[in-house]
Amino acid sequence: MEFNENQTQTIQAAEPAVAVAKPELINGSHAVIQSLIAEGVETIFGYPGGAIMPVYDAIYDYQDQVNHILVRHEQGAAHAAEGFARTTGEVGVCLVTSGPGATNLVTGIADAIIDSTPMVCIVGQVASHLLGTDAFQETDVMGITIPITKWNYQITYADEIPEIIAKAFYIAKSGRPGPVLIDITKDAQQKLMTKPFAHKKCEKLISYHPRLAPKEDQVAAAAKLINQAKRPFLFFGHGVQIAKAEEQLIKFIEKTDIPAASTLLGLSSVSVDHPNYVGWLGMHGNYGTNVLTNQCDLIIAVGMRFDDRVTGDLSRYAKQAKVVHIEIDPAEIDKIMKADAPVVGDAKIALEMLLPLVKENNHEGWRAEFKKFDVIEDQKITQPELAPTTEKIKMAEVIRTLSNKTKGEAVIVADVGQHQMMTARYYQFKKANSFITSGGLGTMGYALPAAFGAKVGAPDREVVAIIGDGCFQMTIQELGTIAQSGLPVKIIILNNNFLGMVRQWQQLFHAKRYSFVELQNPDFITIAKGFGINGHTCSARENLNDSLDTMLASDKPYLLEVLVEKEENVFPMVPTGACVADIRLE
Amino acid sequence: MTSYTICVFTENTIGILNKITTIFTRRRINIDSLTVSETERKGISRFTIVIHHESREAVEKLVRQIRKVIEVLAVFGYLNDDIVYNEIAMFKISTPIGAKPLDIETINKVYKAWVVYWHLTYVIIQKTGTEEEIFEFFDYIKPHEILEFVRSGRVAVSKSPQTLVDYLPEAEWEYYQ
Ligand SMILES: Cc1ncc(C[n+]2csc(CCOP(=O)(O)OP(=O)(O)O)c2C)c(N)n1
Repeated sequence: MEFNENQTQTIQAAEPAVAVAKPELINGSHAVIQSLIAEGVETIFGYPGGAIMPVYDAIYDYQDQVNHILVRHEQGAAHAAEGFARTTGEVGVCLVTSGPGATNLVTGIADAIIDSTPMVCIVGQVASHLLGTDAFQETDVMGITIPITKWNYQITYADEIPEIIAKAFYIAKSGRPGPVLIDITKDAQQKLMTKPFAHKKCEKLISYHPRLAPKEDQVAAAAKLINQAKRPFLFFGHGVQIAKAEEQLIKFIEKTDIPAASTLLGLSSVSVDHPNYVGWLGMHGNYGTNVLTNQCDLIIAVGMRFDDRVTGDLSRYAKQAKVVHIEIDPAEIDKIMKADAPVVGDAKIALEMLLPLVKENNHEGWRAEFKKFDVIEDQKITQPELAPTTEKIKMAEVIRTLSNKTKGEAVIVADVGQHQMMTARYYQFKKANSFITSGGLGTMGYALPAAFGAKVGAPDREVVAIIGDGCFQMTIQELGTIAQSGLPVKIIILNNNFLGMVRQWQQLFHAKRYSFVELQNPDFITIAKGFGINGHTCSARENLNDSLDTMLASDKPYLLEVLVEKEENVFPMVPTGACVADIRLE
Repeated sequence: MTSYTICVFTENTIGILNKITTIFTRRRINIDSLTVSETERKGISRFTIVIHHESREAVEKLVRQIRKVIEVLAVFGYLNDDIVYNEIAMFKISTPIGAKPLDIETINKVYKAWVVYWHLTYVIIQKTGTEEEIFEFFDYIKPHEILEFVRSGRVAVSKSPQTLVDYLPEAEWEYYQ
């Protein structure tokens, strides 16, 4: 009886809404789009399908207000939303259908949660009376995404839509940002709301209270440790850029004269030219930053989470140092490193509160110690990489030349592997929010879609994706999206014909048993041309300059393939399980 | 291994059980017992979860992760000394004609257990108490044939004089009045 009723209602609502509606009442789908517009959304990355068709039907009416970018695979939508969020600090939005549409998003959602990237995914679901019946394209996306979302919610009534979407944006963006998923049943999209649409931004929830301003006593305790330290060392992470605290961070390191190093995702928060900037931390980070981690007497960690790629063997990590941990997510405090002075709050506010409490200082002697290691690293690694005597081009040369040509000011989107680590090492970032890469999940295929998302977010900046030949083939179809949207994204493939990073590990730790890492690659330029994107291959060192110039001069999307040395390794390296101070130079 | 009782106050929404338990699953922590019901505040559920763990630190980290779930209002981890706690158990005992009769007086007076249902061939006895008390009674009653035995999860309240509303941030006071 009830089912029958439901079904008739569904069928009725499927008719054009205007025919039956009182003029002021809109259906769920229009409520979705109007809510997104009310949240300030200008671009949606999506892919249609049965369970989201009512929303797609609605979008048709709002094309002058929201820009929809049709990706070629839902994973691309998720990464594009991430790229957008990472350049703008705003929430990236994905719109996909149920079942396979939703499961294709999963990798991107997992990527976003571990890298604290704000994203709202709106997913269609089968009609509510079909839930749990193994209906066509029904998947328990709620169940699947619980562990990888900051919050998820299933909407089954049109009336819920404005409030839940407002809540989704608030949760995605506030505190430690992250992905939120809203699953909307088809009937909720089709049915009319019972009351006139009204969207109110969410500013507060009963059960969720991110702390922005840290407690004063925590800040005072941290200041005391900082003022007492003889060899303090500051680590900054992604949290700095999320909090837009770059300026405060620089004021802080200048006043205290503390040397500062970056995590992978923290890169570009401080210009490489800054006298207090001493380099990059972790597995393929710099020599001095890693070794001196085990010699400092205080670590001031700002918006970073002591990832195992940073710490190496924890039992031999910075045992001598006290720790000040500035972090917005209280669950990160003491999770990996015991904090002597935890400061829970937003990095920007925390640094602002700390600034007047810390002493002006001079740590020139201590900072000079980093320089000694730089000299060794430069001789042993950097110079041979940048001025090689080998016949084949090296990745480092490409990156450094690009860095010089773009004055260190481009938005660089790196994929995952050797080329990613080389990019982090050799691009000389001068401007904040310039390095976008998959850190926590290490998702191959990230860069191409993230790059066009980044270009949407930063249309006035040069956006260059740096991608390995393996990674490129994971989301190669997004060339179609780039071509269709005409976004002038520049793409560099560093082609070594190998899954290079895996090959490096096999060489170093598996006795050179190169198990399934060699690729038979297609002709990338022909493929790009097939999509309508120009490009060329550079195989000789003497052409590298011109090749990059041609790419950068293009006002259209452009693909540059560079054939690089096949068996090159990324050094320095802290092998997994090794201690940071035992970082290997060869 | 120490026994910890974790009390979680959540909004009473669909799927919240899943959101909570997956945090344990992911960290390979086994749940010994779990009891959920709505509290005296409408729309707010209370989970009582018992686990065993050798590391207090790990339990503290677990509590922080549970607190991160958006629908969670408050989480508390307790040692047994911090709480008053009980379980309820029911025993279906076979009483065929000619069998050794049940000693109702001992059952009542010594074990504080009650027969709550009589059938021709069996009785159902209910016993509340701690896990130890329930198993003591189990051992006592075992010589009679146990047809069925069921034990609930633990319920617990802290010995601290605070109430739920005290735990909630002040701004939320009104919401629950
Ligand atoms: C989806 C996914 N699968 C597998 C891996 C493991 N992995 C890490 S780096 C890498 C090789 C990347 O090869 P390529 O894109 O050619 O870059 P290179 O290391 O050669 O620069 C692989 C397979 C991963 N990170 N992500």
